Amino acid sequence: MAESTVASRSTQLATLKSESWRSFKMATWLGWQIESNWADPFLFAIYSIIKPLSGAAILVVMYGIISKGNFSNPLFPYIYLGNAFYIYAGAMMTGVSWAVIDDREHYKTLKYMYIAPISIPIYLLGRGVARFITGSFSVIITVAVGVWLLHVPLDMITANWPLFFLSLFIGVVMLAMMGLLLGSISLLLAHHVGFIGDAVAGALYIFSGAIFPLDVLPAWLRPIGFIMPITYWLELIRRSLIGNVAEAFPTLSGFSNGQLLGILVGLSLLFSIVSIYTFRFCDRRARERGLIDRTSNY
Amino acid sequence: MSSTSSLAQHPGKVTGWRLFLKTVIARAYPRVIGQQRDKSWMFFDIVLPLGGVIAYVLVYKAIGAPSEYVGFVVMGGAMTAFWMNVLWSMSSQLYWEKEQGNLALYIMSPNSMMAVLLGMALGGMVATLLRAVAIVLLGSLMFQVQYAITNFFQLLAVFVLAMSALYGMGMMTASLFLLLSREAWHLSNLAQEPIYLATGFYFPIKSLPFWVALGASIIPLTLGMDAMRQLVFPSGFKIGFLSVGVEIGVLMALCVVFLVGAKLLLGYMEKLAIREGRLTEARR
Amino acid sequence: MTSFAIETEYLGRIYKIRGSKKEKKIRKELVALQEVNLQIEQGELFGLLGPNGAGKTTLIKVLVTLLAPTSGRARVAGFDVVDQPQFIRPRINMVSGGESSGYGLLTVRENLWMFSQFYGLSSKEANRRIEELLTMVGIADRMHTKSSDLSTGLRQKMNIVRGFLTDPEVLFLDEPTLGLDVGASRDVRRFIRQWLDEDGSRTLLLTTHYMVEADELCDRVAIINQGRVLACDKPSVLKLRLQRDAIFEIETSPLNGLSAEALESLPEVRKASLSETESGAKLDLILVEEAALAGVINVLSQKDIRIMKFNKREPTLEDVFVDLVGRSMEEVETVGEDE
Repeated sequence: MAESTVASRSTQLATLKSESWRSFKMATWLGWQIESNWADPFLFAIYSIIKPLSGAAILVVMYGIISKGNFSNPLFPYIYLGNAFYIYAGAMMTGVSWAVIDDREHYKTLKYMYIAPISIPIYLLGRGVARFITGSFSVIITVAVGVWLLHVPLDMITANWPLFFLSLFIGVVMLAMMGLLLGSISLLLAHHVGFIGDAVAGALYIFSGAIFPLDVLPAWLRPIGFIMPITYWLELIRRSLIGNVAEAFPTLSGFSNGQLLGILVGLSLLFSIVSIYTFRFCDRRARERGLIDRTSNY
Repeated sequence: MSSTSSLAQHPGKVTGWRLFLKTVIARAYPRVIGQQRDKSWMFFDIVLPLGGVIAYVLVYKAIGAPSEYVGFVVMGGAMTAFWMNVLWSMSSQLYWEKEQGNLALYIMSPNSMMAVLLGMALGGMVATLLRAVAIVLLGSLMFQVQYAITNFFQLLAVFVLAMSALYGMGMMTASLFLLLSREAWHLSNLAQEPIYLATGFYFPIKSLPFWVALGASIIPLTLGMDAMRQLVFPSGFKIGFLSVGVEIGVLMALCVVFLVGAKLLLGYMEKLAIREGRLTEARR
Repeated sequence: MTSFAIETEYLGRIYKIRGSKKEKKIRKELVALQEVNLQIEQGELFGLLGPNGAGKTTLIKVLVTLLAPTSGRARVAGFDVVDQPQFIRPRINMVSGGESSGYGLLTVRENLWMFSQFYGLSSKEANRRIEELLTMVGIADRMHTKSSDLSTGLRQKMNIVRGFLTDPEVLFLDEPTLGLDVGASRDVRRFIRQWLDEDGSRTLLLTTHYMVEADELCDRVAIINQGRVLACDKPSVLKLRLQRDAIFEIETSPLNGLSAEALESLPEVRKASLSETESGAKLDLILVEEAALAGVINVLSQKDIRIMKFNKREPTLEDVFVDLVGRSMEEVETVGEDE
């Protein structure tokens, strides 16, 4: 009896693993098919270059006007790199959450995904992979232009690559889980005109230390920044790539790299748990209210 | 004589400007009602964008910008609401209409496509105005922005002209969606940040090289915002690209060009789309 | 100026199709319509009958000014579809089967009111007609239901009302009963006939691949396949083509490899079409004369095929189609899918 229970459990686990992998693999493939389905690859290349560079250029011009072109101040690389890697925030959050609206309203396939033997949260995460890839392209271009043209002091030799890649990995997973949180909420929302992922990423700009140190925030708002995992993630990215510049800002200087990693992992886990429970709640509510296959464009 | 050979009017049906007006109201209706029936847009279309504006204000504070730059960001943030309305609530909306099959019904009916687009824009205007007002009010209160309106009528004229020209431009870009599908969607996405940069949403356009600023002036919001800054902020006259009078003149010209251009381009694109068979395709 | 409600002259439409990424932009052409000549009188209920992919929807799109022809001309209500669409549009409307137009957040009444405004109807008149038409199609009680909460069938009924709401001179119905159950389809057909009979100036073009629908409703029918009109006349006249032929329907045990061609090679077997059933197969035979049946039975016997049921019947439009095309509509659609 005990043996059959164990066997049954291990079969269930194997099935779950297989289902999860199948969901992720299929969703990644599908997401890439959609993202790469450009009529003109040249236009896609332009899009991937012009869009992020324009976003960065807005900040460069703002900074340049006020500082009268003093790009050697450590504040400039702080802003520039923060903005560059923040591209991942918009990309991942939109990539995961937009899949709900796209599949439900546009392709009208969400209902078929729901009745298929796949894991919907993992499916949504897989759909975000394509945005991660296109986002990476944008990040690399933005950083490269910053180093090449604006003398952002990124030294390929002295950079702490192990810390960078570890932080990047944890950060991307964290952002994907935040995207899942937004995607869950999207199950209950009508299709409004904007991208919910972009809107939330835009708002979180304030609390993430992306383009200004948290010390600039009023004291009563700073705690929000300190509970955002993005804050620690960006700090780790800066420390790994431009360590000496990052040290110029005292906000998180009291934490070692290890401590920052620990806080990042802890907060990411917390947000992930919140995302999963939010998904379950929203999924149940959406099915109760018959929203899985609705079209709500107006 | 057979009724099929005459322009016989069916009793109870109007044409001309009355039909135009009916179409505008009818197409605005789903927008207005939709916003009432699902109010979540208030958070995502008003509260969250305010966060983006605050972020840019705090960047200026972090780099030690003069206080009037805070006002520039607040105004720019408010004007992005109108830009988003044009780009996403009007132009790109045709993409969704095509996917759903509504576009074919619009084209097939005797109304004007311009009326349909205007209806879409006006229907979204409640949300747009709320967003703009919220950003101006809250942003001004939070950051104590000082205003000094030097000429209210000129300010009103600039705003009306800029909006008219902007919506005319939006209708022209909407015509692209008649012909293209997902490509137009990507083009709209692509256009966002470059437009923010070139039109000086968050900084005076005078800071850019002259020819860049001049080129960007084709977008009505560029000169519209520049003129409004000159009329609204105490030191506005120092950072103006061209004089307010010249900018008003250019905006008037842009109004005419874009509104006439919209009518012509919509007609042309519709014919082209009908010839190519693109009106009812679902090319994704 | 023509007196026909709809007229086409050598109408053609070719689509250019882009290949998949693997085929690297290989352009193919699809001939959707070829030399279509039709003249539909005012007051007629005209049917366009053909399998999926025959060109019915393409023809409708040309006539409602959504698609330009690549050759030939077409006129609706006396106006050219390419050069004078602005005069056609106030006079027409269209309903497609399975359409998802409208806005889910709006109620049935609101959706219909909105579309009525695009045609210049006063709100008062529009609301009056909405109530009347919704009652006629049997969904008046759902007037204030959001359209996203309707079932497929009810939504289609709403779409049908949208088409009739503007009281067009020429109405195009593209497979209007698609997705409707038997009862709802019958209601719609009755409604269509009633609407047309009320006013002799109304004309209706209906496309369908349901033979029964075309037979029951239409004053005249055009049979279309692969973009060509193969025949056009009253259903009774079309069936007269086969009146002198003997038509048999035979249910048998499994066919043991017997093909339609083998049967057609027998003397005086004009056409044979085979389809599989749960218990075996069904043969539809068009024979030049009854005596040819003996040869068929002989072949069945040689192949150890037992006859379960045997029926002589009157010709239907399906038989006319088989006679013209050489295959049943079902077979044409299946081959089309395979290709």
